[in-house]
Amino acid sequence: MSEIPRFLTYKGIPVWRHAQIIQWAAQIISAFLVVFLVAWFFINIGNAIADRNIPFGFSFLDREYQTPIGEHFIPYESSDSFRYALVVAASNTLLVAIIGVVLATILGIFMGVARLSGNWLVSKLALIYVEFFRNVPLLVQLLFWFFIILVLPPVREGYVFGGQLYINNAGISAPGPIPGSLGAVLTWVVLVAAAAAVGVMAHRKLTRRETETGKPSYPLLTGIAIVFVVGVLSWIVVSVISEAPFTISSPEPQGRFGRIHGGITVRAGLLVLLVGLVIYTSAFIAEIVRAGIQSVRRGQIEAARALGLSGTDTLRHVTFPQALRLIIPPLISQCLNLTKNSSLGGAVGYTDMTNVAITMTQTAPAVSIFILIMLVYLAMSLTWSLIGNLYNRYVGFTGV
Amino acid sequence: MNKGWKLLIAAALLLSAAALLLISAACSEQGTAPAQTSEPSVESQQSRLDAIKARGHVVCASNNSIPGFGYVDEGGNNVGFDIDLCRAVAAAVLGDASAIEIIPVHATEMGATIQSGDVDMLVRTVTRSSSRDAKWGNFAYTMYYDGQGFMIRKSEGISSALDLRNAAVCVTQGTTTELNLQDFSKLYDMNIQALTFEKTDAAVEAYRAGQCDAFTTDHSGLYAYKSSLPQSDSHVVLPETISEEPLAPVVPHGDEGWTDVVNIVMAIIIYAEAYGVTSQNVPDALTGNTKVDRLFGLAGSYGQETLGISPTAAQDVIRSVGNYAEIYHRSLGDNGIGLPRGDNSRNALWSAAPCDDCPKGGQIYAAPLR
Repeated sequence: MSEIPRFLTYKGIPVWRHAQIIQWAAQIISAFLVVFLVAWFFINIGNAIADRNIPFGFSFLDREYQTPIGEHFIPYESSDSFRYALVVAASNTLLVAIIGVVLATILGIFMGVARLSGNWLVSKLALIYVEFFRNVPLLVQLLFWFFIILVLPPVREGYVFGGQLYINNAGISAPGPIPGSLGAVLTWVVLVAAAAAVGVMAHRKLTRRETETGKPSYPLLTGIAIVFVVGVLSWIVVSVISEAPFTISSPEPQGRFGRIHGGITVRAGLLVLLVGLVIYTSAFIAEIVRAGIQSVRRGQIEAARALGLSGTDTLRHVTFPQALRLIIPPLISQCLNLTKNSSLGGAVGYTDMTNVAITMTQTAPAVSIFILIMLVYLAMSLTWSLIGNLYNRYVGFTGV
Repeated sequence: MNKGWKLLIAAALLLSAAALLLISAACSEQGTAPAQTSEPSVESQQSRLDAIKARGHVVCASNNSIPGFGYVDEGGNNVGFDIDLCRAVAAAVLGDASAIEIIPVHATEMGATIQSGDVDMLVRTVTRSSSRDAKWGNFAYTMYYDGQGFMIRKSEGISSALDLRNAAVCVTQGTTTELNLQDFSKLYDMNIQALTFEKTDAAVEAYRAGQCDAFTTDHSGLYAYKSSLPQSDSHVVLPETISEEPLAPVVPHGDEGWTDVVNIVMAIIIYAEAYGVTSQNVPDALTGNTKVDRLFGLAGSYGQETLGISPTAAQDVIRSVGNYAEIYHRSLGDNGIGLPRGDNSRNALWSAAPCDDCPKGGQIYAAPLR
């Protein structure tokens, strides 16, 4: 005879008072509600879109975009597809995000440390900086910088330094590298990258030797020397075999309007957006850095001082490494903010991804485009988070 | 927890998932089914004209920041050429030109606005184009022939757009203007550097400060912004137009009767000028001129009853808003932003117009009202 299932002969706590049952029931009901609400929401949107004949779909991606993109750093023609135009637009945002995050972090750490300086004037100036820039709306700051740039003289009356550096209200132009043939560039870059890898390994090994034996081994110098020597040698070899990987191009005024061509030009729009984002975000980062440093116990600093470390060495070897653990997570969130805030670029004449997306809605379904760029922003933010979390694991406590 | 309970819970989960699927399937069917059945029979729905009469006002998507066409005056009223077209429609269907609601829309949202059908009309310096015609709605008569041009500082000493080689040009993004500029630059190998701005105000500001050598938009816009610049005499609009920009009101797809009503109102405005009738001399008794009598509903008909508007709608329109010339001069011409309108200007009436002193040889024309 088969055994009767136990739940049929159950004689324990009544079902309606059984804690586990109640918990599970609550979970199931809430899961049901969430799924139902989400489904209802999307079905509703779908119906509304269909009712109002609002176009939706992604077939437009292969169509020609047929619209210029104001500023782009990878090749783009208006006969390119929407798909590629979105990539170009994303690269514009990515450029601002990367440069902005790097500069904002450096400036933020600097201001955060300055905020804790023993020098009264320095710390108060840092305080004013932080409180001013994080309490004024970003768009207002961007427009402020936009008008500041416009105060600069126009291009023909602009400042020229040594015939190489042009500063005017259209932007800043300086000599810049122009890549040669793809083969030459690729060969050289690969060689230098390999040298850099070797240099990093040498640096690590020599550092270990220095700590273990106490003999001065010049790790940094050796590392840099390796990269430099390989870089120069491979440059010469590549130049002799084919052509120089990069040639320097100087900016030069052209035509009756004297617009600058050649070299590298950081246009006013990008400049304004970067200055605004970097200053705004650095004010927040400064506070994060200050909080991180202040969270390191006083005893640590006193012990470092007792060992005879100077103020700078204490900060570099004792305080800051410990503070980093607390700094990184909120710092990531500031990186995300900077990336997302770059969507204000259109206001000051920089064509960021949002800006291009708005233009695209003229000729393609708006809902689809915005779903796409939301996904791209999400991917960018998640990448920042990933990088930050990996770094956080690297600097975090190990084994304690 | 023992095995029995887990079994029970698993079964409950499965059941609820199945129920959910069923419900959502039912929901989606419910949602789409009525739309499918009601779509073909427009008559069963209330027509837009009836809806407007019931509502008591006409809803127009327009602009509040383009001088001349649609802006807000010192008294806080929406005024301008486009606003007057909206008022004319309100006067025709409701007998009251002030029965309007203006919804300001940005250039980038006007397509979605008219597609949604939430507004009765889009009058916002909209350029008619085939793809907009296909997607957005039905375009009424072109009420202003515009074209893209350039404004430049007089001190540059340039008289032709072809001299703009290597120039930097400020342009508003999100419009065909940007594309036209690029095509123009490519066609003549001009190497023009375009600086694009989200807002036209920012583009004009950048031009004023010399960040760009020229500013490009439609001619009407150039004159409007020129008049707003300090020392507007030191700027000049170059003669060339590099694009065709016929500006016309748009009405939502799906109600042909309403499209016809808007078109008739536009025609009334145009023919009133042609017949020499202004807001000051609208006839309310037979004049003996058959065409004028027909226009103002004093004798004969040109389809007012079929469309459901008052036979004397034209009287209300012209009395409260004026004829084409009056509307033009109030906002765009001498009393407005100073856009010239002489003989052979594109926005003069076609030369067949019977009026004596109105400018002729232009392209403003509508199908006869009969």
